[in-house]
Amino acid sequence: RRWHLSEGLFSFPQAIMQGEHVSKPVLQVINTRAIATGNGPPRYRVLMSDGVNTLSSFMLATQLNSLVEEERLSAHCICQVNRFIVNSLKDGRRVVILMDLNVLKTADKVGGNIGNPVPYNEGQGQQRSSAPAANTAPSKPQQQNGNLSVAGPAAPKYHAPPNQFGKPSAPSSVKTPVGSQAKVVPIASLNPYQSKWTICARVTQKGQIRTWSNSRGEGKLFSIELVDESGEIRATAFNDQADKFFPLIELNKVYYFTKGNLKTANKQYTAVKNDYEITFTNETSVVPCDDAQHLPSVQFEFVSISDLENKPKDSIVDVIGICKSYEDVTKITVKANNREVSKRNVHLMDTSGKLVTATLWGNEAEQFDGSRQPVIAIKGARVSDFGGRSLSVLSSSTVVINPDSPEAFKLRGWFDSEGQLLECTSISDVRGGPVSGANTNWKTLYEAKSENLGQGDKADYFSCVGTVVHLRKENCMYQACPSQDCNKKVIDQQNGLYRCEKCDREFPNFKYRMMLLVTIADCLDYQWVTCFQESAEFILGQNAAFLGELKEKNEQAFEEVFQNANFNTYEFRIRVKLETYNDESRIKATAMDVKPVNYREYSKRLIASIRRNAQLG
Amino acid sequence: MGDVHEVPRRRIATGQLAQYIGQPVCFVGRVEKIHPTGKLFVLSDGEGKHATVELSEPLDEELSGVIEVVGRVTNQATIMCMSYVQFREDKSPFDLELYNEALKIIHEFPEYFPFS
Repeated sequence: RRWHLSEGLFSFPQAIMQGEHVSKPVLQVINTRAIATGNGPPRYRVLMSDGVNTLSSFMLATQLNSLVEEERLSAHCICQVNRFIVNSLKDGRRVVILMDLNVLKTADKVGGNIGNPVPYNEGQGQQRSSAPAANTAPSKPQQQNGNLSVAGPAAPKYHAPPNQFGKPSAPSSVKTPVGSQAKVVPIASLNPYQSKWTICARVTQKGQIRTWSNSRGEGKLFSIELVDESGEIRATAFNDQADKFFPLIELNKVYYFTKGNLKTANKQYTAVKNDYEITFTNETSVVPCDDAQHLPSVQFEFVSISDLENKPKDSIVDVIGICKSYEDVTKITVKANNREVSKRNVHLMDTSGKLVTATLWGNEAEQFDGSRQPVIAIKGARVSDFGGRSLSVLSSSTVVINPDSPEAFKLRGWFDSEGQLLECTSISDVRGGPVSGANTNWKTLYEAKSENLGQGDKADYFSCVGTVVHLRKENCMYQACPSQDCNKKVIDQQNGLYRCEKCDREFPNFKYRMMLLVTIADCLDYQWVTCFQESAEFILGQNAAFLGELKEKNEQAFEEVFQNANFNTYEFRIRVKLETYNDESRIKATAMDVKPVNYREYSKRLIASIRRNAQLG
Repeated sequence: MGDVHEVPRRRIATGQLAQYIGQPVCFVGRVEKIHPTGKLFVLSDGEGKHATVELSEPLDEELSGVIEVVGRVTNQATIMCMSYVQFREDKSPFDLELYNEALKIIHEFPEYFPFS
């Protein structure tokens, strides 16, 4: 393949020096040199050639450093510059910052310098037609070289870089309301070597004012996150600047920010992707910008809920999902400072079919309205390992309800058609609470057996819908220790006293405790299940004490209770485990919970299951 | 006409009225409006589509919410009502949209939901 150097036709260095825009020039690297930067990432200066001239005013943006360090970008290689911006220094010189480039041919494949480029000298006219190079058809080149053909008729007109916003990432002159002209530069070009800059950015996150007071003094600060088409950056205002700017700066609005200190970012405190961050000084100015429709609003990089299981604890992620259900707001007291804070758990589901619990705090928790199952997008949530994987919304997170974005519309459409019928599993292992679909592991009794649940080292749990088909009334209850937390069977001393070996005490009474063996069945199979106190009382519809009395005094009424309990259908939460007793191993099933059937959810599961099976053919 | 209560009747939605002309059917829908004469009312099904129900005798009570009508489909694709039941929604609402999903299944898999 032949690569064309953008040589001569419009004299790249000249075009650059005269502030003209060029599209994706193909250049040769003559040399690279690392510049000392103190404790930040190294900066590389590049000497480039267009075949005719060399120019040393190129700096590599730090995100491209790996190209040099991995030796892909090295002396003699040919590259195409996709995106660059030009900074003007105080002395009038221009520096080209390379933001994005492709190495078209590595140095080893090129072998040497193309042509005989000489250093560009401003004032020298090089192979130019008399008409301004930027707008006319290129003149015929005067140099041909070896195995490289001359560049074809590359249009000298500027093309927008291939990003979604289509705005040129080159400096543009802008009139700030103050009246002076300032060049607006992209956030991605900000670096500590320039003190005078102006950016036009949207505030995508605004933190609260935080104060501190220690032996060295006291102060306050607040931080914001800024975004433009080129990237994002964090900015912090301290003390006087905090007081001055906190009331002025509003979330989601766009401002011109001029002059501040750039320093290496402390990545511990933020997930913002920028090597640097801004500190406001008393020279910083913040002016509202009216014409800013083109600037992106909050940038998200969503992680699918099922992928959260792969994220390490404490990582910061962006998530979007439908709020399938939510809990009431509760107040908890923070032990550290004895303050009460509101808290609310919401459960988010996405197309992966997984559900995650996210915790909202404070105002957000109190004002949350989850009716109509809105789409919720969270930027900067922290992953916790509570119950597996859960999310916590931090003061630095941003929560958007029903965002106006394609992902949100897609989710809405999916949920309203098939998503709401889907049985989802929770990665947050929420037990208890009426959260539909959270960690229930629905099985039929046949599946539970055929999947060998309970045969491993640990007990297995599953939920099922089953009908009571038999109850064993013999030995369905026993005499237990009357102590609050002890359920051990007592020994009847036959003298009016009952002895509990565990408490090592004798009592004049006992309490009845249920241990009911029930057979439940569904359309495919049946299962013996042991039901203890709460489950048994629920199924029989009477409490143990009353049943004990009936048993002693009214055999017939006692029988009737069991007859009435038969052939009722419930949702069972079952624990199965292999138990060995006298050399014999058997699966023992215990009912952990028995509830009335939620027919709506049951129907949804059945419909989803039927549809799934139909698809499998 | 024959007593529709003695023969099997298919559960249908509004979209299927035209296919069941002359047949006994069971229709579940939400009351949308009642004609002043009390001899006609309109129900909406799980997809929001309307069906007209006619009565031989005017209504003698207030109808609202979800009701189940058993009757025969007329030539005009309305339902001549033989009997109806109002669903009680005091404990939990009736999910008409979900019912519609179930109807689709019943009609898509006649081999598993045989009719007569």
